[in-house]
Amino acid sequence: MTGLKRLGLAIMLHTAWLKRAGFAGILAIVATGCSDDSSSFSISDRTSSLIPEAQSGIADTPGVVNLLEDKFGNPQQLKAWTKLPVQWGGAAAAVEVFAADGDGAKVRFTVAEGQEFPAKATFVNVVTGAGAGRTLGLSSWDAATGEAVLTGLDGVVLAAGDTCSIDGGAVIQSGRVLYMRHCSHCHGTAGDGNGPTAQYLYPRPRDYRHGVFKFTSTNDMSKVSREDLLRVLRYGIPGTYMPSFLLMKDEELTSIVEYVRFLSMRGEFERKLVNELASDYSADAVESRLKDEQRADIVAELGKFLSEDLPGVVDGIGGELEESWVAADTEEARIIPSVPRVPDNEESRRRGRELYLSKTLNCADCHGIDGAGNGPQTMVYEKNPVTNVPYDEPGLHDVWDNLNQPRNLHTGIFRGGRRPIDLFCRIHAGIKGSRMPSFKNTPHEDIWHIVNYVLSIPFESEPGATGLAAGPAAAPAAEAAPAAGE
Amino acid sequence: MKKFWALFFWFWPLVALYVCLIAPGRNWWFPSKPLSTLGHQIDGLFYLILIIVTVTFVGTEFALGYALWKSAVSEPGKKAWFSHGSHKLEIVWTIVPAFVLVFISLTQLDVLADIRVLSRFPESVKEAPVAEVMARQFEWRIRYPKPGTELMTSPQPGDLYFVNEVHVPAAVPTMINLRTQDVQHAFFVPRLRVKQDAVPGLIIPVWFEIEEAGDYELLCAELCGWGHYKMKARIVAESPEGVSAYLTRLEREQNEDGVQEAETASVK
Repeated sequence: MTGLKRLGLAIMLHTAWLKRAGFAGILAIVATGCSDDSSSFSISDRTSSLIPEAQSGIADTPGVVNLLEDKFGNPQQLKAWTKLPVQWGGAAAAVEVFAADGDGAKVRFTVAEGQEFPAKATFVNVVTGAGAGRTLGLSSWDAATGEAVLTGLDGVVLAAGDTCSIDGGAVIQSGRVLYMRHCSHCHGTAGDGNGPTAQYLYPRPRDYRHGVFKFTSTNDMSKVSREDLLRVLRYGIPGTYMPSFLLMKDEELTSIVEYVRFLSMRGEFERKLVNELASDYSADAVESRLKDEQRADIVAELGKFLSEDLPGVVDGIGGELEESWVAADTEEARIIPSVPRVPDNEESRRRGRELYLSKTLNCADCHGIDGAGNGPQTMVYEKNPVTNVPYDEPGLHDVWDNLNQPRNLHTGIFRGGRRPIDLFCRIHAGIKGSRMPSFKNTPHEDIWHIVNYVLSIPFESEPGATGLAAGPAAAPAAEAAPAAGE
Repeated sequence: MKKFWALFFWFWPLVALYVCLIAPGRNWWFPSKPLSTLGHQIDGLFYLILIIVTVTFVGTEFALGYALWKSAVSEPGKKAWFSHGSHKLEIVWTIVPAFVLVFISLTQLDVLADIRVLSRFPESVKEAPVAEVMARQFEWRIRYPKPGTELMTSPQPGDLYFVNEVHVPAAVPTMINLRTQDVQHAFFVPRLRVKQDAVPGLIIPVWFEIEEAGDYELLCAELCGWGHYKMKARIVAESPEGVSAYLTRLEREQNEDGVQEAETASVK
């Protein structure tokens, strides 16, 4: 059908359609649109480097792509792998009373143990019973009593005890709609950081599929917390193209956060699954194995692995994802300084500068002696840790393979936030995914000295001058106020 | 049929006149009544021009209708009067519009000066911008001076930062410094009738006196890139005490060291 539409459009465009088809032709375009409106989660390059059998399975045995579809669905029809710690929205419930009433029916639901009815609900998915698989509308809903009026029954009769999900997946679906509207043009439909506008941006938009986010308030080994993601959405990331979405409603932002977590988990699942297969069944690996093996044997071996070992692997990955993402939101994961910020005075800044230059911390190795982001490490040719091939350009690279030079500390732009606690977290946990390492073993008092020093760098009268330059009197260039319209 | 066209061209000016008369009372032209002092002057200019245009339009259309009517009712076979080359008419329709245009341009000079020329700004705001509004692709970054100090053109230690929300006092003249970090943007607050381009390299003072406390939508009105539609912010007009309470809160938040916060969290 889509093919026909496209063909029709192409013909119209190529034959001076305005003259021939005229108004009807324009109407046809308006009515049908110009392109296929379905979208898909693209698979990663690493997945497509596997041999076709590993990607799409052998006969009924699923491969990576089938497993992804099975566990996460596609953008039109998301699937909830309930093992994962995502707030899908909605509640599981059972029918208590069902009374047909004309086209609709009055029902009373009881909510599953440990859950709560959503305050607002518009639909019900029937899970068991005669109506299993059906989606019914709710024309009225009372979250306090669980009483509702069902519509769109079309002859379906529910019985007491049938299980349903009320507004199931409402949060993730609203997150998807908002994500597609506001985020996907940079971050991509699958969260691969490769949307249509991504190529114009420096730095590149985040690719979520590593499950790694740079600016977190959690320990170096922990994932990002919901609160961290919310903060980035609210306040943006100055110095990058990530804008602030402050004016969106809280519930909209939290549903986007859930959807971003969902995409991250999907990407991580894909990565980890491919990790299991890449060494033996990537197209390159198979080619080199063909020297002393038959392809049919390799495929048979893969089939055995896919059918016997992979289900266990999938469960294992699900468990890892569950554990790590749940842990990120716990109090244990959060960085809480053991001492309050030390007073910001000349002495503290001098101490901070000493630590900055010290052999043990060696900040200057990357950030440069005067903090301009030009330390010796920026001249080193690094190797790609996965392929072991040196990068084309010198300098430090992040896990996304982008050149990611150390920050020039003079700009006064703090991407992860300018609160002292933000800088404390950057030093304590490092910047995840980048080459900024964690200094969690440094005494917290020392970290505070460095924070005080770093916060003072933009106002230094000369590099390394740690004196208090506070007060407008000491500010150079403050007098020149070119005012337009005078 | 000839009479139909005459009536047709008499009908539309009547519609236009009716619409022009009822439109102001129904807010068809503007999103709301003007909520800043300058807004009243700007709306006044708008309505002045609207009156001139309406009178011209209605007059021209009636004349057209009259000409059509006259020839419709004239005897068959009567030849048209050829009027090309009337020197008098040429002079009249050159001088009259010229007077109208000169009148409009002279009338608006004062308002334009009140909006744009720093020396005509209210004395209380001239030297005291409350905040710097830095437009950038695609958000508004706000910098307030440290409470108790003046806003400097370059960032100072202790300055307070926020994004996409500006708090300003209501009912007193207020000035902000408008800048852009990258391309041209425009600072547009429809309900205040404030619209000012932000130009790279310039610090442009913008003043307004918001009459009613409340939230006002701030939009970018200069197509600045693919994310132009995202550039929406909020201006919160409140009492001067409200603003200073807000700044105190902002200062506390900006100096958070995570320790205090953790203590209150454990109390909960």
